[in-house]
Amino acid sequence: MSLLLVLIPLITAIFLLIARPSGARTIALVATLANLAVSGFACMGFVGDGSFNHEFSVPWVAEAGITFRLGMDGISLLMVILTNLLAPLIVLSSFGKQMEPEGRFYGLVMLMLAALNGVFMALDGLVFYVFYELALIPIYFICAIWGGQDRIRTTLKFFIYTFTGSLFMLVALLYVYLQTPGTHSFAWEELVRVQLDPTAAWWVLLGFFLAFAVKMPVFPFHTWQPDTYTTAPTGGTMLLSGIMLKMGVYGVIRWMVPLAPEAMHDLAPVFIILAVIGIVYASIIAVKQTDLKRLIAYSSIAHVGLIAAGVMVWNKAGLQGGLIQMLNHGINVVGLFFVVDMIERRLGTRSLYDMGGIAKSAPKFAALFMIVMLGSVAVPLTNGFPGEFLLLNGVWNYNFWLGAVAGLTIIFGAVYMLRAYGLVVFGESNAETAKFEDVQTNEWIVLGVIATLVVVLGFFPGLVLHLTDGSVNRILGTVQF
Amino acid sequence: MTAILILFTTAIATLFTGLTKNRSLLQPIALAGCLLALGATFYNPMGWNERYISMFQFDNFALAFSGVAILAATLIIGLSGWGFRQLNDTLGDNYGLILFSLCGALCMFSFTNMVMLFLGIEILSIPLYVLAGSRRDDLAGNEAALKYFLMGAFATGILLFGMTLVYGATGSFDLAVVNEAIATGKGSVGMLQTGIILIIVGLSFKISAVPFHFWAPDVYQGSPNLVTTFMATVVKTAGIAAFYRLFSLAFEPAMDFWSVPVTVIAALTMTVANMTAIFQTNFKRMMAYSSISHAGYLLLAILAIGTPGSEGALLFYTLTYSLATICAFGCYMVVAEQNGDGSFAAFNGLSKKHPLLAAVLAISMLSLAGIPPTAGFFGKYFLFSAAFAKAPWLIVLAVINSAISIYYYFKIIIAMYFSREENVYETGIPVGVRWVVLAGMLLIALLTLMPGSVYAWI
Repeated sequence: MSLLLVLIPLITAIFLLIARPSGARTIALVATLANLAVSGFACMGFVGDGSFNHEFSVPWVAEAGITFRLGMDGISLLMVILTNLLAPLIVLSSFGKQMEPEGRFYGLVMLMLAALNGVFMALDGLVFYVFYELALIPIYFICAIWGGQDRIRTTLKFFIYTFTGSLFMLVALLYVYLQTPGTHSFAWEELVRVQLDPTAAWWVLLGFFLAFAVKMPVFPFHTWQPDTYTTAPTGGTMLLSGIMLKMGVYGVIRWMVPLAPEAMHDLAPVFIILAVIGIVYASIIAVKQTDLKRLIAYSSIAHVGLIAAGVMVWNKAGLQGGLIQMLNHGINVVGLFFVVDMIERRLGTRSLYDMGGIAKSAPKFAALFMIVMLGSVAVPLTNGFPGEFLLLNGVWNYNFWLGAVAGLTIIFGAVYMLRAYGLVVFGESNAETAKFEDVQTNEWIVLGVIATLVVVLGFFPGLVLHLTDGSVNRILGTVQF
Repeated sequence: MTAILILFTTAIATLFTGLTKNRSLLQPIALAGCLLALGATFYNPMGWNERYISMFQFDNFALAFSGVAILAATLIIGLSGWGFRQLNDTLGDNYGLILFSLCGALCMFSFTNMVMLFLGIEILSIPLYVLAGSRRDDLAGNEAALKYFLMGAFATGILLFGMTLVYGATGSFDLAVVNEAIATGKGSVGMLQTGIILIIVGLSFKISAVPFHFWAPDVYQGSPNLVTTFMATVVKTAGIAAFYRLFSLAFEPAMDFWSVPVTVIAALTMTVANMTAIFQTNFKRMMAYSSISHAGYLLLAILAIGTPGSEGALLFYTLTYSLATICAFGCYMVVAEQNGDGSFAAFNGLSKKHPLLAAVLAISMLSLAGIPPTAGFFGKYFLFSAAFAKAPWLIVLAVINSAISIYYYFKIIIAMYFSREENVYETGIPVGVRWVVLAGMLLIALLTLMPGSVYAWI
């Protein structure tokens, strides 16, 4: 089952890239829906006690202890659901645009999905690393081929930045691997079992942190993010913000902390403080933005900062909050970027001061935008709320002051999101916005699904929390610092 | 041994066929000879791999590396039908020289005596001096040939001097005897150490390691494309494999002494080469610096001597590096045909006109940069993990250098895929080039799926 989740998009990708058939978008959509169905099946027989379900394992380089091993516990399953739930929406949201050559665009998206699914299910250190890097190549091409102004410079910066970060992770992984007994092994359990001496643990932890901090991104490693999100085509931005940055958080939970808990006691405060600084910093910048896409890019840094802080305090509330918020942030941010894309396609601008009065010409659009926006602000009974509440609770339990500062994210979030919403939707309409066309069919589907998820997950967060409960308990029980 | 005999016979055959008017027979003969020799490295019915008058031993190491070199040469000869099409009366000589040079490489993989190493290097180099200048009316080609010859002769002299000193200290040219003499502490230490240093210098010239690399960019740029490819793949493989064999079989007991200069050279090589490659605007010069930087990574294997898996890592690395380089040069030849100056701008818009070539070149670049999941990543990974315990900080430096290298490898990808300007490409893809790059890609894909098959070969 887990192999299928990687193989379906991989084979589709190869087919689309090489055969370049017409109707690539339909093929891609069918493949993502098939993947969604497979992940649905994976949920059905799921045992949520924290063990790995649906394991698949073949030796890759037996002599060097490398096994191609995939499997899912609750945490992985949640990430797989996130990936495969958003994938059809992302594919569908690109229907409104001509992405030429089409086979190449959708092929790269599918390749990206294969890699993302692989990252979230890998149970072997090197397999994880390979998938982690594999995800970078298609997104680089997507951003650099179909991106906006200054795309080549921006994307190369993005690539080198993230690749350098992950190379340090490779060195850290390699170090832990060489400490495993016998002929060495990359198996997750073996790597976790290794006891590192304190100095080594510091370096290992820093190596991992560099990789994941760049990916999320955590302040001060975020400088690539706003430019890249803004220049990338919308499909690319959705992949980056909705799913790819979760690779970083997931990496912290699955690899960074379990492999080097010895140094977490010393370094966790530094990481958490950096994350909290990032929350405040990005929120303040977001308030000042006039470009709607950039505003959401900065808001994403703030939200992820809170997730990172919550996860790294390593208590039940923080971890559970981080996990549910990863899903919900993915849903919300994809919705928001889709809204930006709709506006940009119709008005040809992203500047907040060129908008206004859309509520009159496009009431359905305004209503759907409102729901997504409220979810992002974390209003109670929307999906953003339970996650942020648990995260803040977690950080609060760790340190009162940090919790208080991190709590600013909700206030700031309300400020910049409501301001943006007001400037876009209300006020006087101008010549352009007066003829703003309301939602079309494929847009209805995407925004409708997202708005439904915002409400449903807001009412029933237990659906998700239940899924990850056993795994979080187990990982908290085995990894302590 | 069988492989050397086959290659030698084929070389003679091509020379004589070249005298007749049957030019079209030359490539098939050379290809058949190479394929036979490749088969002989796997299958050896007559037991000729035994030690031969204490000069050669075709052990697993020698056979495996011979396989890599012969495979690389086969692919290069596959490209040659198109690459050499303008040569008329000298075509037979060209094939003959390539095959003779390959024989020299095989000697360098299998020697058990320093004299044989020296002979192997000469057999490898002398045909190459001629090949580098094979375009007789080309000024740059003549410059390249002369530079290569002078530098090469100089390096061989230093190497020979080093061997003499080692002989003086240990009383033998035989690797096993030298090893024992060093282990038991017999002979003059000063003479031995000077000898080892001179040998390191001589071999560093051959693999173009910094600071003995100055000849490489001019020679690479000035030589005919196929000869450059041969230098970057077969010669590099032969140089580093001979380095490894000599130092593991003969000088391993003195590792504490020579690991210091080798570490310094490796660190300098990867850093200087990468820093310089960033500023290149010509494909062949960029590939020259890239090949220098790979020499730096390859030196990690020398530092990892004694670690299990270091031979496999070296083998895997040279194989993936050679495949990617040959594919890249194959694509470059087609591009250069139309837009001859070889600058990066020559690649603008290649993805629209020749998606196959662009994809092959992109994958080759990704593989050279060592980006997962390409085979080049596993090459780097095996090499780094083998040398990690011996030189952790050097690995960190190597990792930083790998990140820097993305910058220049990606310039090609950027030109091919993202440039809004488009060049005219009227030439189609020649059949030979198409088959060779597809074979190269297939092998790279196989190496990605089953890295263990080659890694565990030795």
